[in-house]
Amino acid sequence: MKRTRKLALAALLTAAVALIGASAGAAKHSAAPYKVAWIYVGPHNDGGWSQAHENGRLYVQKMLGSKVQTTYKENIAVGAQFSQTVASLVAQGYKLIFATSYGYVNKAFAAKYPNVLFEQATGTDVSKNLSEYFGKAEDTVFLSGMAAGAASTTGNIGYVVAYPIPEVIRHANAFALGAQLTHPGATVHLVWTHSWFDPAAEKKAAQSLHTAGADVLGQNVDSPAAGQFAESVGIPWVGYDSDAAKFAPKSWLTASVYNWGPYYLKRVKAAMAGTWKPGFYYGTINDGFTTLAPYGAGVTAATKAKIATYEKKIENGSYYEFTGPLYDQSGKLRVAKGVKMQVLKGGTNSLYGMNWLVKGVVGSPKG
Amino acid sequence: MRVTVERRLRQPRWLVVAVPIASVVFALAVAALVLLATGHNPLTTYHQLVDAAFLQTGSLGQTLISATPLAFTGLAAAAAFRMKLFNIGAEGQMYMGAITGAAAGLYLGGRGGPSAFVIASMVVAGCVGGVVWALIPGILRAFFKTNEILTSLLLNYVAGYVLTYLIFESESYWRQTKGFNATVFPTGKPLPHSALWPGWTIHAQGGIAVPLGAGFGLLAAVVVWLLYSRTRFGFEAQVLGDSDRAARYAGVRVRRKILSVMALSGAIAGLGGASQVGDFAHALDGDPNGLQKQGFGYSGIVVAALARYNPFAVVLVAFLIGGLQNAGNTLQGATFPAGLVGVIQGIILFSALGGELLIRHRIRIGRRVKGPAPTSPEPAA
Amino acid sequence: MNNSLLIVLIASGVAYGTPLLYAALGELLAERSGVLNLGVEGMMLVGAVMGFWTVQRLHATTGVALVAAIAVAAVAGAMMAAIHAFLVITLRASQIVSGLALTIFAGVYGLSSYLGNNLNLADQPARHSFSAVFPSSMQKWPIVGPIVFGQNVLVYVSWACVVAISLYLSRTRPGLNLRAVGESPAAADTMGINVTAYRYVHTIAGGAFAGIGGATVTLAITPQWVDGITYGAGWIAIALVIFAFWRPELCLVGAYFFGALEALAPQLQARNIQLGPTVLWTSSLPYVMTILVLVVVSSGTARRRLGAPSALGNAYVREER
Repeated sequence: MKRTRKLALAALLTAAVALIGASAGAAKHSAAPYKVAWIYVGPHNDGGWSQAHENGRLYVQKMLGSKVQTTYKENIAVGAQFSQTVASLVAQGYKLIFATSYGYVNKAFAAKYPNVLFEQATGTDVSKNLSEYFGKAEDTVFLSGMAAGAASTTGNIGYVVAYPIPEVIRHANAFALGAQLTHPGATVHLVWTHSWFDPAAEKKAAQSLHTAGADVLGQNVDSPAAGQFAESVGIPWVGYDSDAAKFAPKSWLTASVYNWGPYYLKRVKAAMAGTWKPGFYYGTINDGFTTLAPYGAGVTAATKAKIATYEKKIENGSYYEFTGPLYDQSGKLRVAKGVKMQVLKGGTNSLYGMNWLVKGVVGSPKG
Repeated sequence: MRVTVERRLRQPRWLVVAVPIASVVFALAVAALVLLATGHNPLTTYHQLVDAAFLQTGSLGQTLISATPLAFTGLAAAAAFRMKLFNIGAEGQMYMGAITGAAAGLYLGGRGGPSAFVIASMVVAGCVGGVVWALIPGILRAFFKTNEILTSLLLNYVAGYVLTYLIFESESYWRQTKGFNATVFPTGKPLPHSALWPGWTIHAQGGIAVPLGAGFGLLAAVVVWLLYSRTRFGFEAQVLGDSDRAARYAGVRVRRKILSVMALSGAIAGLGGASQVGDFAHALDGDPNGLQKQGFGYSGIVVAALARYNPFAVVLVAFLIGGLQNAGNTLQGATFPAGLVGVIQGIILFSALGGELLIRHRIRIGRRVKGPAPTSPEPAA
Repeated sequence: MNNSLLIVLIASGVAYGTPLLYAALGELLAERSGVLNLGVEGMMLVGAVMGFWTVQRLHATTGVALVAAIAVAAVAGAMMAAIHAFLVITLRASQIVSGLALTIFAGVYGLSSYLGNNLNLADQPARHSFSAVFPSSMQKWPIVGPIVFGQNVLVYVSWACVVAISLYLSRTRPGLNLRAVGESPAAADTMGINVTAYRYVHTIAGGAFAGIGGATVTLAITPQWVDGITYGAGWIAIALVIFAFWRPELCLVGAYFFGALEALAPQLQARNIQLGPTVLWTSSLPYVMTILVLVVVSSGTARRRLGAPSALGNAYVREER
C-alpha cells in the first residue's frame, strides 16, 4: 500500500513538472504593429462611461486596421492593480496607454516609464509623457437640460448624481440652467448614489425623486436603471453617456454623449508619426467630442428647434451657459454679469473647481 | 465492492504536503478543461501566467506588491480560523488600520528621510485600528454569543463607508485640501517624507523592490507561529478551537481567549492596512475604486484556507496567489475575460477542500458487504 | 397620501426585500438540515445571470419566457449548491470555507461575471421583465394600493412560499424529520431518517431559492445585467435567517425591514431630510441595524428558546456518532 502511494505521489509530481515544462515551449511572439492599450475602471460593456471609451477604441482599431494592435483592461482599481497592469502592458510592448479615470496616473508615475506615452481622462497633471483629456460635456448636458425643462409640466425635475465632486456639480448646474431656460422657475432635485454605476441605487434614487414630486428624470450616472424606472411610471427621462433609448423607448428624451473615437484616432496617429505632444485637451461640440444622442418621441419640434438654436450659438461662441450673473442656492451672486467661467482658472469659480450649486438646484453639494 | 471512509488516527507528514500539491495539480487540470472549453489554449495560458507572475522583468516586484497585503490578511484569517473563530472582517480591519496608520504618519511625520520612530508609530497605530474594529465582533461574540461571521462581515461595509466618507465626503484631516488638484477630485493628503516606508532592492531581474511591509509580514508569520506552537496562549486557543467543553474543563478563560485572538487577528489585518498606506499608496486611499475594490480581506481567507492555517504556508501561498492576481491582470483583456481568474481560484480552492478529506480520512475499497468498518492501526509513516 | 414617506418605504421594502426573502428562505432550508451555506451571494449571481440569459435568448411569449427564466435560474442556483453540498456532506470539508469558496467561484469576479461576458448580456435591457400584475386603478387605492397591489408576481409567489415552507416545517412528516436532522442528526439516523439525503435535498433546494432571488433582481427590480448586480444581498440574506430565528414568516418581516432601510437613504435625500452629517451615514444604517438585531436575537435567553439548529455547521459522520 505504501509503495502504491509513493508511486502515486511521484506520478503526480511528474505530471506537474511535465505540465509546466510543456507549457514552456508554447510561447507566443509579438507582432510588429503599434501597440495601444486602454484601461477602464469599470466593465468594458457597462453601457456608460467605460463603454463609450471602448467604442472609441473599436473605432481606432477599425480605422487603422492592422497598423495597430489594441487591447483593453477592465475593472482596474486605482492604485496597485493599475501599476501592475501598466507594468505588464509595458513589458508586452505597449507604447501608448489611455487611462480612463481620475487618479490613475500622475507625473511621478509617468516618469517611471519615460518611453511610454500616457493619456489620462479627467485629470490635471501634465508632463513630458503625460497628457490629459476631457471635454465640455456641460454644454451638451445643458442642452439636454433644455429638453428636460420643456418636457416637464410641474417644473420639478429629478437628477440622479454620483459623487459631490466638481465634475458632477458643474454638470448638475448645467442641466439646471438648461431646464430653467425652457421652463422658468424649474427646480432640479438631487439624490446622490455614491457610485458611478449602481443600477439598484439609481433606481431607488429615481423612485424617491418621483414619489417626492418629480415629473421628469435626468442623471449623471452610468446605468440606465433610472430610465427603466421612468418608463415603468410613464415619465420622461434624460440619459447620460450613451444612447440608451432602447432601455426606455417611450420615456427617452436625449442624452449628452461622449464621442471619444475621433480624439483617440488623432492621438494614436500622432504617436505613431512621432508628433505626439502632451497638453490639456478640452473637447467641445465643434470638434465632435460631445454631442446629443438622437431625440425620443417626447421632444417636441419646437423644443428641438430651440435646442438647435442654442447649440449653434454655443458652437460659434455667442452663448456660454456659464456666463454671469450666476447665483448660488442661497441667492448670493457668485459670478458677476458678463464674466465667463474658465475651465481651470478661478478657484471655486472655475469649472474644475466648482463646488457650489446654482439657484434652483435642491440638494447639498456636499453629498 | 464497498467504499469506506474512516478517519485517520494520525496524519502522516508526507500526506499533508502531497495532498495540497496534488489538489492544485488536479485543479489546474480541471481549469485546463474550462480553458479549452472556452477557446483558450491552457498550455499557453499557464505559460503566460507563470511568466507574468514570476519570470518577466519586474514581475517579482509586482507580485510582491500583490502578495504583501495577502500575507497580512491571510495571517489574520489563519490566526483566528485556527481557533474556529471565523473573522471575515479582515477587509474592514485593514481599512481601519490604514486610517489610523495614515493618521500617525501625517501627524508625526516631517521632512527628511524615513524615520524609524514615525514608521514604528504607524505600525502601532495600524495595529490599534485593526484591533479596535476586530474587538467589536469579538465583544459581541464573547459576551452576547453573536455569530462573528456576520458581524465582522457587515462591519466591512461600514468600514468602507467610513473610508469613503473621510476622503470623498468631508474635509477631514486625511483629505488633501491644498493645491488646485485637490478641488478637482478628492484625494488623500500625501504622507510626509519621513513617513514613507523604505524597501530593499534585490539585484536580480532588473531590480526587485521588496517593500518593508513584506518584511513585517514575515515577522508577523514568525510571531503567529511562535504564539501557536510555543506558548500556552496558542495551546489553549487550539484546544478551544477543537472543543469548547474540553477547553472549559481545562480552565481556559473562553471570553478572554476570544477577545485576545480577535485582537491578534485584527492587529495583523490593521498592520496590513498601515502597510498599504506606508508602502504603496503614500496617502489614505478612500476611492471606492481603489483599495476598496481589491478585496484583500476576502482573498486572505482563501490564502489561509489553502495554507491550512499554517503561518509560514500562509506567506508562501500569499506569494503564489499574489502571483496569480498579478498575472490575472496581465492576461485579462479583450480575449481573456476577467471572470476566469475567479473561476480558476475557486476551482483551486474546491480541490484543496476536497483534498482535505484525503488528509483527515482514509478511503478503503474492500470486498466486505456487511459488518462494521475495521479500524486497523495506522502503519508507521 | 400614497406618496408619503411611510407608504413609499413600506412598498419599497416589499419590492426590494423580495430577493432577500427568496435567498433567506433557501438558506433557512439548508440550515435547518444542518448545513451552513455561505455561498448565497454566488448562487444568487449565477441565478441572476442565467435567468437573464434565458429571457434574452428564448424566443417565446413574455409569460413563457419569464417562467422558463425562473426555472433556469433555480436550476443554476441548485447546481452551485450541489457543489457545496458534495464538498461538505460527502467530502466533509469545512462548511465555512466551502461556502466562501463558492462565493469566490461563482461571484462577482468569477463564474457569473464570466457568463455575463461570454454570453454578451451586458448593456441590453431585458426583453421581458416582471411588472405589476394589478391594474393601475387598483394601485392607486390608499395604502394597500402601492404596498399590496403594486407588486409583481414574484412577490406574490414569495408569500405563497413563506406559507408553504412554514406549513412544511410544522405540519408535515418530512418537515419534522428535517428539524430532527438539524437538531440531532445522530438521533434522526437512529430513527431511520436518511440524514445525507435530507441534507443534500435541502441544501440544493436552498440553492434553487437563491437562484430565484437573484433572478428577481435581473428580471424585476433592475432588468439588466451588470457584474455583481446583487451587491451583497446574499450576505444580508444569511443574516436574515438568524434574525428570523429560522422561521419563514419572520424572514419575510426581516427582508422587508431591510428592503425599506435600503430605500431610506434616497428617500430622505429626495425629500431634503438630513439625518446625520452625510448620506453615507444613512447608507450604513441597514448594516448597523442588522448587527444590532443580531446581537439582540443571539443573546442567551433568545437563543435557548428559539435557537439555531444545534447541528448547524457540523458534518455528520455516522462512525463518529
